Order: sequence, then C-alpha cells, then structure tokens
Amino acid sequence: MMTVTHTAESRPDVGEKADAAVPGNRRQRSLGPRTAAALFAAPLLVYLLVFYAFPLYRNIELSLHDYTLRAFVQGKAEFVGFDNYLAVFSSSTFITAFTNTAVFTAVSLVFQYALGLALAVFFRSSFRLSSVLRGLFLIPWLLPLIVSASAWSWMLNSDNGIVNAALVGLGLEPLNWLTSPGLALTSVIIANIWLGIPFNLVILYSGLQNIPKDYYEAAALDGASSWKQFWSITFPLLRPVTAITLLLGLVYTLKVVDIIWIMTSGGPGDTSTTFATWSYREAFGTGTPDFSPAATVGNLLILIALAFGLLYLRVQKNQEES
Amino acid sequence: MSKKFTQIAIATVGALSLALAATGCSGTTGQATASQEGGGSFTVWDPYPQHEASSAWAKRIDKCGQEAGVTIARTAYDTQALTNQALLAAQEGKSADVILLDNPAVSTLAETGALVDMKTAGLDTSAIEPNLLAAGELDGETFGIPVGANTLALYYNKDILAQAGVDPASITSWDSLTAALQSIKGSGHKGITFAGIGTEEGSFQFLPFFWGSGAKLSALDSTEAVSALDLWSSWVKDGLAPNSVINNSQNTTWEEFLTGDFGFVVNGTWQVNSAAKAGFATGYIPIPSKAGGVAPAPTGGEFLLMPVQKDESRYATSTKIVECMSTTEGQVETANTFAYYIPATVPGQELLLKEHPELKVWVEAVNEAKGRTSDNLGTDYPVISEQLWTAVQNSLSGAQSSQDALKAAQQKAAAATGK
Amino acid sequence: MTATRTWWKTGLGLIFTALMLFPVYWIVNVSFTRTSDLRKSPPSLLPLNPTLEGYTAALNQQLPHLTTSLILGVATVVLTLVIAAPAGYAMSLLVLPGRNALGFVLLVAQMIPAVVMAMGFYAIYLRLDLLNTLPGLILANSTVAVPFAVLLFRAFMSGIPRELIQAARLDGAGVWQTFTKIVLPISRNSILTVSLFAFLWAWSDFIFASTLNRSGDLIPITLGIYQYIGNNTTQWNAIMATAVIASVPAAILLVIAQRYVAAGVTAGAVKD
Repeated sequence: MMTVTHTAESRPDVGEKADAAVPGNRRQRSLGPRTAAALFAAPLLVYLLVFYAFPLYRNIELSLHDYTLRAFVQGKAEFVGFDNYLAVFSSSTFITAFTNTAVFTAVSLVFQYALGLALAVFFRSSFRLSSVLRGLFLIPWLLPLIVSASAWSWMLNSDNGIVNAALVGLGLEPLNWLTSPGLALTSVIIANIWLGIPFNLVILYSGLQNIPKDYYEAAALDGASSWKQFWSITFPLLRPVTAITLLLGLVYTLKVVDIIWIMTSGGPGDTSTTFATWSYREAFGTGTPDFSPAATVGNLLILIALAFGLLYLRVQKNQEES
Repeated sequence: MSKKFTQIAIATVGALSLALAATGCSGTTGQATASQEGGGSFTVWDPYPQHEASSAWAKRIDKCGQEAGVTIARTAYDTQALTNQALLAAQEGKSADVILLDNPAVSTLAETGALVDMKTAGLDTSAIEPNLLAAGELDGETFGIPVGANTLALYYNKDILAQAGVDPASITSWDSLTAALQSIKGSGHKGITFAGIGTEEGSFQFLPFFWGSGAKLSALDSTEAVSALDLWSSWVKDGLAPNSVINNSQNTTWEEFLTGDFGFVVNGTWQVNSAAKAGFATGYIPIPSKAGGVAPAPTGGEFLLMPVQKDESRYATSTKIVECMSTTEGQVETANTFAYYIPATVPGQELLLKEHPELKVWVEAVNEAKGRTSDNLGTDYPVISEQLWTAVQNSLSGAQSSQDALKAAQQKAAAATGK
Repeated sequence: MTATRTWWKTGLGLIFTALMLFPVYWIVNVSFTRTSDLRKSPPSLLPLNPTLEGYTAALNQQLPHLTTSLILGVATVVLTLVIAAPAGYAMSLLVLPGRNALGFVLLVAQMIPAVVMAMGFYAIYLRLDLLNTLPGLILANSTVAVPFAVLLFRAFMSGIPRELIQAARLDGAGVWQTFTKIVLPISRNSILTVSLFAFLWAWSDFIFASTLNRSGDLIPITLGIYQYIGNNTTQWNAIMATAVIASVPAAILLVIAQRYVAAGVTAGAVKD
C-alpha cells in the first residue's frame, strides 16, 4: 500500500524494464510481454465482442432506420440516413433536454465529488465507529431504485411531504418541489447527489488508502496545516483516481433514468427531461414505443461520453508526459 | 519461457471456461421453461403480478387450460413491461399463446401484425357491447376480447359532504361540482384529488372532463377543451385540489382519499372493495359533464389477445382457452375474483347485478363509457394522448395557460399523426 | 490523537450519517404505515399507528428471492473479478498494444443504455436458451460491472510501484506469478472496491431481471417487489418492508467489507 501514481506513471512498462534488467533473456522476452499481455486481456476482449458489439450495432442500426412498430416486429425498416438525428435536433425538446442534461450532470458531479471527497477525508482519520458509519453510508445504494426514488418523491411531496412540513414548522413557505417548473430539476438533482455519494465515497476512500502515511508525517513535521496537507498531498496524489471517478460519474450520471422518471417523469412538461429520460420516454414512456428516436437520442449520449473520453485520454497523456 | 507461457495459457483458458461454464450449465433449466414449443404446455401472460400462483385468478387460468386439455404456464408482468415483452417476443417469433393486455395498447400491437384477428381465431364477439369492444378494433377487424371493463367515477367521503352540507345528488354539472368543492373547502377540508401525472394515467383521468366539455381528441385546442383544462387548473389555483395532483398517479390519489381529508376523488371501479373498507363511509356518483348529465368516461381493462404463432395448429387450443375465459359465467367470475371488472356482455352484467345489486352505478357508467382508441383514432390515440397529458402538466404547473398549452399540443399531435 | 478529539469526530460522523440515512429512515417509517395513513398531512415522524402487515407479507413471500439475489450478487462478483483483474493488469503493467483504445472502448461500452443492452441480450439469450436462467442473469449483470472494474483496476494497478514488480521478476517470477503473488495481494483494496460495486449493481438490477428472467423459478428481490405493485393498488408497506429486510444481509456484508478495507490498510502499513 505504498507509493503512488504520479511518480510511477512516468516510468517505462515493467515488461520492457524487465527485459533490460535481465540481459541473457532478451531474445525470448521480446515476444513474451506482448503475448502475455494479450493473453491476460483475452477474456475481456472475447467478452466485449460477444456482449457489447451486438447492442452497439443494434443501437446504431435502429437510429438510421425508421423503425415503426410494425417494422420493429416484422424486421423490415426503411433506411432513412440521418433523418432521425435531424428530427431530434429540430425537436422543441432538444434545447431543454440539452440544458437539463448539462445542468443535471455538472451539478450532480460537482456535489457528489466534493461531498464524497470531504467524507472520505473525514473517515480517513480513524475514530470510534468510523468503519461502521462508513459502511452505513453505503446503505442508500442497497435499496432498489424504485424504493429510494419513491421515498424521495414522498418526502418532497407538495402537500404531505416531510420536507414541506419541516419548512412550515420553521415558519417558512412550503415549496412545490416536484410540481413547479422551476424546482423540479433541482429536486431530482438533490436526490441524485444523495444516490451518488456512496459511489464517490467508496472510490475516493479507497484511493486515499493508497497515499502513504509518511508523506503526511513528513508534512506535519514541516508544520503544514491539515488544510495545506490536503491541497499539497491529498489532492495532487489523488488526481488519477479523481479523473477516473469523475469520468465514471459522468458516464453514470448521463445515463440516469429511474430516479428522474419515478420522481417527476421528466415533468412538469419537459422541465426535468434529460437526454436519457427523453430516450426512455420515446421507447417506453408512451403508448407507442418509438425505438428509432430513442436509439438516436441514446447515440447522442454515447457521443457526449466519447467526447469526454477523449478529453480524459488527453489529460492522462499530459500527466504521463509531465 | 514455455513453462510460463503454458501457465498463462492455462489461466486464460481457465478464466474463459469459467465464463462459459456459467452459460453452459443452463441447458436443463432453459429447456424446462422453453417448453412453449412442446405439445402439452401453453403460455399465458397477464399484467397481474399481485395475483400469485396460488391465487383464485391463477387457478382459473389453470382450469381453463385443463378444460382445453393442456397445462398452462402463466407469467405475470407489470403493464409497462408486458407491452415491451409482447413486442420483443413478437419480433423474435416467440410470443405467448394468450396475452392479456391493457386496452389502449391493443391497436398498437395489432398494427404490428403480431395478433390473430378474432374471426380467424374462430371467436364470436357479437355479444360484446360495441363501446367496450371498440378498443380492440383496427381497420374493421377485431383483435381481442375484453376480459371485463371498468371506468372512472367520483368517489366521495360521506362524512365530509355531510359536514359541508353538500348533497351528492345535487352534483350534476361542473358548476354544481365546483360549488360543492368550495363548500367543502369552507368547512375546513380538502375538495378533490385526481391524477394529473405525465403518463397515460393523466390522460385517462382528464378524458371524462375533456369529453364532458364536448371536446374531441381530433381537436385538442377547441374552446371546449380549453374550458375543461381551465376547470382543472382553477381547482388547483383556488386550492380546491392539492398541488400534488400534478404528480399523482391514480394509486396515489386513492391513498390521499383514504386519509379521510378529501371530499372527492376521481377513481375507478377497481377501488370498490377498498372504499368499502375505508375508515369512513363512502359513496360514488358519475362524473358530471359541463352542461349537465353524465360525462363519457374512458373504458379501462384488459383484452384477451392471441399472438401470431409459427405453428398455426396451436390456435385451436388457444381459442378454447380464450373462450373459457370470456364466457358469460367466466366474465362474472372475473368480476368477482377481481372486484373491479364489469362484464362486457349484457347477460354477464345482468348476472353480476343479480349477485351484487350495489354495482348498478358502475354498470351504467361502463355502458356510457367510451374507448380511448375509438372514433377511428386507433394507433393515433397514444400520440395524441401524450400531447394531451403534456398540456395538462404545463397548465396545472402554471408553465403555460390552458389555451397555449393545448394549442401547442394540437400542433404537435397534428404533426405527429399527419392530420 | 487525544480521546476528546476522536469523540468529537464520532459525534460529527453520527450527525452526517443520520442526515444521509434520513431517507432510509423514511422508508422504514413507511414500511410500518397503514395505507390509510400513507398520505396524511402533515406526515408523522414516527409510525404511531403501526402495522406489521408489510413485514408479514414480505417475510412470507420474499425470502426465497432474497437467497436468489445473494447468489446472483456473489456469482457476479466472481465472474467480474475473473475477467477484469487480468485485463486491468495487462492494461496497466504489461505491454498491451492498443490499451488506450481498449480503455476508450470500455468507456463507450458503459454508455450503452441498459435497456438497449437488455434488448440485445434478449435476442441472444433466446437463441442460446439462456432466458429465465440464473447463469444467464449473472452473465448479463456482469456486463454492467466489467468495464467499470477494468478501468478501476487499471487506474489503481498503475499506481503499484514498479520496483516491487521488477524485484519479483529478478527473483525469477513469471508474469503469472507476479500477478498472483504480487499484484493481486497489493490490489486487495481495489478488489474489494470492485467486488462491492459488482455486488451492489447485481443486487439492485431490475432491467435485466425483468427482461431476461421474468418467468424463471428463481427471481431476484427487485422483481419480487413488483408483486406488490398491481395495476390498481400499490402495497407500499410491503414494498418498503421488503426493501428493509433485503437491506439487512447486504448491510452486514457492507460493514464487514468496510472493516476489511480498514484492516487491509493497517496490514499494509505494517508491511511498509
């Protein structure tokens, strides 16, 4: 459980290093590492091909054809090129869904990460009950989404919710959390942050464990405050884990459907509709499943993730080079 | 090197075979459930997960299988999942032999060519009330038989109405209903609750008011339609209905009513038993129309469907099963097992009334009711309905005026249906 | 660290936990509530007029599904680890050509909506006769966890000091031995983290179960809950009671796992 990434990153790969270190073996080893690596990755490659290629192909195929329900069942759909994409872009829902997706994702990510990190740092110092409490923090995750989302919509109900009861008790005006166009998105974001804290806490806590204690001891000897220690040790050393946490968080947040669907169904109107709920609504939320527009919106999400994935690769490369 | 290579190879093969073992050992269970192809077993899908294998409903299905000389494997889905499942299975050519499906989805499924029409199946639908059969019709053909029907009415809390001095018999129009709600509010209670949720349920609950204004689904932005939406919005704005109606499902409205705080609730036949067990006395009246008289409410309930099979020889047996489920006695039995279905035939209704005279209001309401996909809307209905519930949401939440919301809805519906 | 300071932190930790778990408390509260009190305004903080009908229903009907969910969760964890750990090792510590591209593919793979995945699986499973089987569901659930697990292993394993691995290689350990003897033991924390995620995702999956295992004899608890969501009635207290009952074994697992993570840290520190 010792040293950390940023120093290790810059080093050449083990296999090559090992080749150089063991001169007598050079000829044999030059083939070895690559083959070995490929063999270790083989199960994953097979797995990806078998289970992901088809759904991905299917999603693209659906978006390029006009799959009416009849065509979906009978299997003969007309090829329409990018018509579905044009229809999605020109839809009145597009701008709303785009803005909502951006706000929902960005705000959720920032708060989930900040709160998750704060809690991870808090729980890092061992105190009485710390591991039990940390375990309890994960309970929200154990609950089926239909249960936790229902609990939130219960608590935020305009007329018989506990939150409004508390507001009234404090002498404040009750709010229409789920039913007013201005607040619905905020409400689902709050619930989503709550759901995302365990994820961030687990990964970041795990990342903190890999930072050697002697770094802090040295810093403490130098008289650095805990605040300073956080910014000069914890945060920089956590960067690779932060990057992957945020990236995965982004991917999962973009995909969120259940919680929004159960709490507001994307409403009132379109005011809490994101791309993911829009896609879900087209496919399953109405009486007529429209798989082609649903797949089209789904592919837009994949494209957004691609863009951020590229960004991540770039950041990672910069880190490796530095 | 070679030794290491072997080790790695073994490890990889090991990992792979573990993954494959997970798939391989499934053969036996798979065959047991996929016995759909086999001669003696027929599959039935229904949307009643609340009725377990030991329930009266499940036993009835088993009995119909026995009478047809086969065993039945029944699977229950929730309504939403069942529609999806029916489509996926149809696409793969592996549909169930008999499906019970919510009526607005029937024309959608029929349109895909996945259903056998009743004439081909050799089933006689002439005894079924035309207004109840309408939801199963598409292009002049009938694709299903209602297992029974239900509809909406206004349940009321007798204690609250008495306190507010409201006589339920006096409520015959929108004006008298609104006046009653105001008296209830004046007596310190809550007026009415309904389901304005942004799903099909929202449209379902709004339709009695929409139709009751004289509006038609082909013109969502008519003056009549605007007056109906204004009625709902003004109730919310004036505090006669709670703000939560915007997000309420029908179940939620009923839970609200059961608290005993509400004068009225819009709800369906299926709550008759629950109403009888409530902690206060209840009654029900038909939903009034704008000018006076009973408003047409939408019909609800499931249809018995026969999906297309590769092996057409199965139809004969499936027909027997459907027949057994939809005979007069069968419909009365369904009504009794479920407590929320009114038989879809006149003889069935008469038989039920003999046993349960108190259901008279409901039998009348069902006969006045109107299929959502009727008026030749068919598969256009779901498209229009989506715009309708969106307009309801936008108006109730104050995002748009009723007029603007319905105007936008009509434009989108017209664009989507091409009319 | 002085005792007073630790107590202060425990107090703060308790407050944080209480805040975080309030919605969970609300679920417990509803699990004891009668249908007629569900929408009472204002709501009562305690189930003052409690009923056990939710728990009676859940205990009578849901225990087999609980076992299924546990088996499902554990098996998904095993399958995920078997596929992801070697791949993470290859991508972080070995020379895998195109590993960045692979990482990218993994990322995209996670974006495919679960519904689309489920529809694809349905078509494949129908042909392989895997519908309504537990192994089929395990396989499907692992697809959620595997890309995540590989990326996480990669991120964590790239932090393993190369000196350690070089030392092992100099001692004559092969790639495989380095993996099992050095990399895996050091990666205990990330293995636990991945296991936790894989377990929780499998535990809470609904979409795959509802598409692929609807009429199986062995259904997970997430599907079992749907028994209480009828067309026209919802037995909220039974739903919430099921969720509460189902959380207990999983919560115990979590707390144990958390202790183990902590223990791993101390062990590592000692070894240091």
